[in-house]
Amino acid sequence: MQRTRSILVLVPLVAAMSILLAGPGRPALADDGADFFEKQIRPLLTKHCYECHSEAAGEREGGLLLDRETGWLKGGNTQQAVIPGEPDASLLVTAIRYQDEEMQMPPDEPLPAEAVKLFEEWIRRGAPGPAVDLAESEFSRLGDQHYLSELASEHWSLQPLAVTELPQLADPIWNKSPLDRYVGQRLHTAGLTPSTPADARSLVRRFTYDLTGLPPTAEEVREFATSYRQDADAAVERKINDLLSRPAFGEHIGRMWLDVARYADTDSTYRPDTRTPKYLPFAFTYRNYVIDAFNADKPFDLFLREQLAADLMGYPEDAPERAALGFLTVGPHVGRRDDEIDDWIDVTTRGLMGLTAACARCHDHKFEAIPTADYYALYGVFASTKRSDPLRESELPKIHGAAPVVTAVAEYEQKRKQIDAEIKGAGNSKTKNNNRSIAERIEETDLAELLTFHEGGPVRMMVVRDVDKPITPRIFLRGEPANRGDAVPRRFLSLLDREQTPYPVDTSGRLQLAEQIASPENPLTGRVFVNRVWGMLMGHYLVSTPSDFGLQGAAPTHPELLDWLTLDFITHGWSVKHLVATIVRSQTYRQQSLHREEAATIDPGNDLYWRAERKHLSIEQMRDGMLAVSEQLNRMRHDRPQPLWGDDYSRHRTIYGFVNRFNLDPTLRSFDFPTPMHSSESRPESIVAPQALFAMNAPFVIEQATTLTDHVEFKACQTDGERTDWLFQQVLQRPATKAEVTRCSKVVEQQSRFFEQPRSPQVHTPWALVAQALLMSNEFQYLD
Amino acid sequence: MLNLSPLPEFHSRRRWLQTAGLGIGAVAADAMLAESASSAVEGASPLAAKAPHFTPRAKRVIHLFMNGGPSQIDTFDPKPKLQELDGQELPKSLLETLQPTQRNRAGRLFGSPFKFSQCGESGLSISELYPHVAQHADDLCVIRSMVGGIANHTPGLLLMNCGHPALPRPSFGSWLMYGLGNESENLPGFVVLCPGGMPTAQSRNWTSAFLPGIYQGTHIDTGGSARELIPHLTRKDIRPGSQRAQVALTQFLNEQHREERPGDDRLDSRMHAMELAFRMQTAASDVFDLAQEPQHIREMYGDTLQGRNMLIARRMVEQGVRYVQIYHGAGQPWDGHSNMVPRLRQLTKESDQPIAALLTDLKQRGMLEDTLVIWGGEMGRTPTTQGNVRDINRIGRDHHIDGYTVWVAGGGFRGGVEYGMTDELGMSAIENRVPVHDLHATLLHQLGFDHERLTYRHSGRDFRLTDIHGEVREDLLA
Repeated sequence: MQRTRSILVLVPLVAAMSILLAGPGRPALADDGADFFEKQIRPLLTKHCYECHSEAAGEREGGLLLDRETGWLKGGNTQQAVIPGEPDASLLVTAIRYQDEEMQMPPDEPLPAEAVKLFEEWIRRGAPGPAVDLAESEFSRLGDQHYLSELASEHWSLQPLAVTELPQLADPIWNKSPLDRYVGQRLHTAGLTPSTPADARSLVRRFTYDLTGLPPTAEEVREFATSYRQDADAAVERKINDLLSRPAFGEHIGRMWLDVARYADTDSTYRPDTRTPKYLPFAFTYRNYVIDAFNADKPFDLFLREQLAADLMGYPEDAPERAALGFLTVGPHVGRRDDEIDDWIDVTTRGLMGLTAACARCHDHKFEAIPTADYYALYGVFASTKRSDPLRESELPKIHGAAPVVTAVAEYEQKRKQIDAEIKGAGNSKTKNNNRSIAERIEETDLAELLTFHEGGPVRMMVVRDVDKPITPRIFLRGEPANRGDAVPRRFLSLLDREQTPYPVDTSGRLQLAEQIASPENPLTGRVFVNRVWGMLMGHYLVSTPSDFGLQGAAPTHPELLDWLTLDFITHGWSVKHLVATIVRSQTYRQQSLHREEAATIDPGNDLYWRAERKHLSIEQMRDGMLAVSEQLNRMRHDRPQPLWGDDYSRHRTIYGFVNRFNLDPTLRSFDFPTPMHSSESRPESIVAPQALFAMNAPFVIEQATTLTDHVEFKACQTDGERTDWLFQQVLQRPATKAEVTRCSKVVEQQSRFFEQPRSPQVHTPWALVAQALLMSNEFQYLD
Repeated sequence: MLNLSPLPEFHSRRRWLQTAGLGIGAVAADAMLAESASSAVEGASPLAAKAPHFTPRAKRVIHLFMNGGPSQIDTFDPKPKLQELDGQELPKSLLETLQPTQRNRAGRLFGSPFKFSQCGESGLSISELYPHVAQHADDLCVIRSMVGGIANHTPGLLLMNCGHPALPRPSFGSWLMYGLGNESENLPGFVVLCPGGMPTAQSRNWTSAFLPGIYQGTHIDTGGSARELIPHLTRKDIRPGSQRAQVALTQFLNEQHREERPGDDRLDSRMHAMELAFRMQTAASDVFDLAQEPQHIREMYGDTLQGRNMLIARRMVEQGVRYVQIYHGAGQPWDGHSNMVPRLRQLTKESDQPIAALLTDLKQRGMLEDTLVIWGGEMGRTPTTQGNVRDINRIGRDHHIDGYTVWVAGGGFRGGVEYGMTDELGMSAIENRVPVHDLHATLLHQLGFDHERLTYRHSGRDFRLTDIHGEVREDLLA
């Protein structure tokens, strides 16, 4: 028995080797067999099988290829299709005999009996292959994990971070920082020269918007211009330090992180009877944790560990760090447990490490070295993690030291009492035409709304915890939970842990996972984040696929620079403020954004950074910027999500606005705000008419314009020249030119007669048209 | 490194990122460009009109969505045997074929109380509920063997609209926008009309999911006004002339700004977008202004909610809108669990004449041949009553997904055809079963797309509307 089996194993191996050794020509001995194959078997395969099992048809159903010897020897997803010499043991024969109900091929109707006999005969003869074998091709290697793993072991993003020798540049200014030396050398090699530094106004607008998401005031522009003239580097350094110390920094960069974390204040479903979204009333504590972490310059590795495993790090139950777990809990929950876990796997792997592991849910990844077993190893970690019910307050600890707005507490408590009484009064009665209880309806509507929006409500955290008995995952074949395959231990991705060390049996392994992700040894985590920050500040990325650093992702334009920046970031204690400062103080960042024809001929995409990118404001920067220039902006930190538009729109920053995942605000949508159903890779810049309609007609914009013309300083202006100038200073932080004064005055003069009896009391002067025209302008919306 | 999956340029994300900023391109390549005397904007904007894979038979879609799930048994799939056995117990063996939820509450066999007759030259069987639609029998390709999904509203709607019953996936209209761009200068290319609010599952029905947000459908509550076509469509607090002066001032500033910043196409595109937006204010309002239609046309559709919806849809496709989806109403009006008989009379009374008018109108304009008009819901209804209700006015049917009816007219589908078959009681589709993915594949085929090649790279994988399924059903096509 033992012997027989070993022979069975050996035969295909030998056959496979002969192909590899033989190459295109085949040994003379095999000719007979090849003849039999081509004359008897190939026609049958062509007629009945190749539509689904050949490279020519571009199909390999079930992973099986029948156009080459390796194809049937390796078999498909299940097992070897042909065992040479053993027709009865060959899956292919089982299938064409229609013996097994689950496996009948061809699917439409069985082959004629003679055809089946021919196949049996062919296998009995040792299943000789074709005269010209295709052997391994790119197509046959799709999903070949062994092969992909070999590719991965040489893939750039999986190599350890490397220190390379710093290039020497002739220009002493560019030779100061390593960042500029890497960029400068590439420019030099390509025959390009960098652009001159931007002017002081452009620079300070760029700094302020890039680091805080807000515009500078006209006064700040003037001050900076003066000090910049005296000592440019010192002025820049002071400005960077000033901006990084403002709370607005965390509110700006935090929003970038919320894109990655697919943040929203509601879930992706709703109650059909009342059409109430499923609220996540305490999502805001995660949002504010993110803002606070960036402002406190919390080391990025710690930031990551807390978001994945704060509950396992020894913090007290009510420690604010636990709010970090919102990273897991604020995601969409379509309703099925396996979909919820898939979301966690995706945000963790793609969002933090640039790996598309979620593709390995139903089958081994076709393009990356991520076998299904890896997916389920992570699945086990998250299946052993329990998300608290977002409405069950007993599961959601209050944050130590965080208090609701004192003046609102009394009202909250009164309303709460009323709702609680209604719930109690409802008892067990059911709603009409519905088997859900009335009490539940009140909890999900009135109570959830109160908790979500009322400033006097408690401040709780959306935590997770480990289940009592961690789950040993089983592979779900084809992603179907009912279809159980092999068990796998909970562990990290084999790509990053070749040893495949299992996590301790008595824990979910979430903490271990967090440590392996947030480790200086992990070649992906640091690079991925550095690339995200670079892209945010520079306008495009070193790796143009920020959430895909795998075999399918783009290669970095500046690999040595990316490594240097990442190492520098890690050795400076994963300090995000250090990283940001390093980038924005560089000469590369400080270049002007003007087009240069001769440079564009060589590098039209500015991949080498011969100029700065002109950046369009994000919807957050635009909304906050408008509030800032009209001096309506409330710069205070805020808890509960607030309406962004409408009659009682919030004066707080946009990051504090209500994000309804279930029904995303159309204005956000038209300005490229990402759908929070998945971790977002980056925001594209689209240019569509609804954006212009917003600037022209949105009551929000109109109100900022009229607020400007109602400003006491504007009213104190004596001449049209002064008025125009004041508006330009306020909105664009520069004086108006003579031509602009003339043009604006003319518009006002022509329009005045229509404002003697204005259509609306709000827009009572033609100057409001001018103020809004500035808010609508490209100059306001773009950063040079 | 071997590139295992070369991306065609069309799908390349990198290229997408590079060109996404290049503005409305072809869409706005009109007089405004000439006026500004600047270099024309080259390159594809995400909304620029694009050619499909091959010459299409159809250029646009009007999807009449009977949301809630219309009863096929009372409209387009007559079951004489069922009528014969009306009121009898459902045999145990057949009970098993129902979905679990329906099994538990299935009542007795329920033959249709409505009369069917042979209509048109083709002799298509249509019930008395649709006398006007029946006059178009020879244009209808009635698929009686639709199958699929989970027998409930949200999964059914998402499957029919987005090709997946649960996960967030782009809708049919979004794929179409992605593939074809927008032909209309002044209107969004993918519009969803729903009077009185939103259908069940709301905006998930027209989501662009991971496709760029500009491909999402624009929902309009046609119970409201044109102002809701697009957020911030108009303002009333200043005169149009004042706004013109204001836009001109902005463009004066933009012109100066651009002069100093050559070589950045985005700045041109923003200026064009503003001109387009200015014109949209009128055009988008116009499309709702049915007073511009001659009286005999308005009368043909009828001055009712459904009539106005259908007429608006026709005006939109005439303006180049690619995909108009019309829901009968908010929520799920066709969900006839109870009181189904009077409810069906009411719903068909509301929509029969308008649907027929739409077909007539498209035909007389020569547009039916390249417009796909689809009628159907997210599922059908059981041949049994729900529960043991006997009162004909209170009786209802439950959800059903194994053999329901969708019909398609125009766009190169065969007319006067009954395709597929359910068993004699209507419990299951027994011939030519058509999964939703096959319907999608076939519709895309008529629109010029190989459904397997209309893909988008997301999260390391090429996604498509039909996921890993779908087959073009040539039998349905002329």
